Amino acid sequence: MLSNVLNHRYFLWALLALPSIPMTLALLNGATGPQGPPVTEMLLHPTGEFAARFMVIAMVITPMRMLLPNSNFWRWMLKRRRYFGVAAFAYALAHTLLYVLDMGTLGAILGEFLALGIWTGWVAFFIFIPLAATSNDLSLRRMGPKAWKTLQRWVYPAAILTLLHWIFVHNNFGPALVHFVPLAALEAYRIWKNQLTAKGQPA
Amino acid sequence: MIRILCIAAFLTAPLSSANATGRMTCAPVDPANWITQEDLTKKLTSSGWSVRFIKEDGGCWEVYGTDEEGRRLEGYFHPETGEKLLVAQRGRILFRAQD
Repeated sequence: MLSNVLNHRYFLWALLALPSIPMTLALLNGATGPQGPPVTEMLLHPTGEFAARFMVIAMVITPMRMLLPNSNFWRWMLKRRRYFGVAAFAYALAHTLLYVLDMGTLGAILGEFLALGIWTGWVAFFIFIPLAATSNDLSLRRMGPKAWKTLQRWVYPAAILTLLHWIFVHNNFGPALVHFVPLAALEAYRIWKNQLTAKGQPA
Repeated sequence: MIRILCIAAFLTAPLSSANATGRMTCAPVDPANWITQEDLTKKLTSSGWSVRFIKEDGGCWEVYGTDEEGRRLEGYFHPETGEKLLVAQRGRILFRAQD
């Protein structure tokens, strides 16, 4: 009974949507504290953070499967990886819309576009669009698994750009590295493991 | 099951915290001597800024606002004198006071 609930995709969708509830309430409420930032600006940080967080979760699934091949949890996660990717995109979309709303004018947006902390975010967001748009069975079938995978691998440059965006928009390493160091470590493990396997087998 | 609960806890972790960022540090000043937010706002408005909000960070006043050219800026100001110490546009440093 409980496992039926947990395995239902609506359960995962609800879980992925959970962080958006306080954000939506704040947006509807319109105000922050008496001297706080405008709500659009206040929500920039959590929307961006959850976008990055879900992207990182989607990316660690394969290396975690290599690390723990018998884990049922990571097998469970693998089957649901696209949901995490789409959730990352949804939060990134909210993040971008809030930013545009907060800036208010095209001139203001273009005026800071070339800051390292800004263009990296834009490019990462534009990479996310085709990745999210093809995260469905129909696209996978139409493109074929090989081309689909090649396209989805664009998540790696998007991740690097996201990391740069996060670090440089605030000149602050801490929170970004908390998310990206585990990812980098797992990717390093994956490369090492793949090389080991390649060496062990005749070409 | 426990893992799923851990993930749930992770997902609902506090959204963001307003701790010191370490981007700028000001020498401690008696709280009574801090320039008020109102006075700092007035000072900045007269220099062409429009202030969105002010908070304390690293013992300085940290101001989010827009300058006369419409650039969205983040500035650090001396807590006592309101002197401009650091101004950045989305992390790009535009001004840093000489020590």
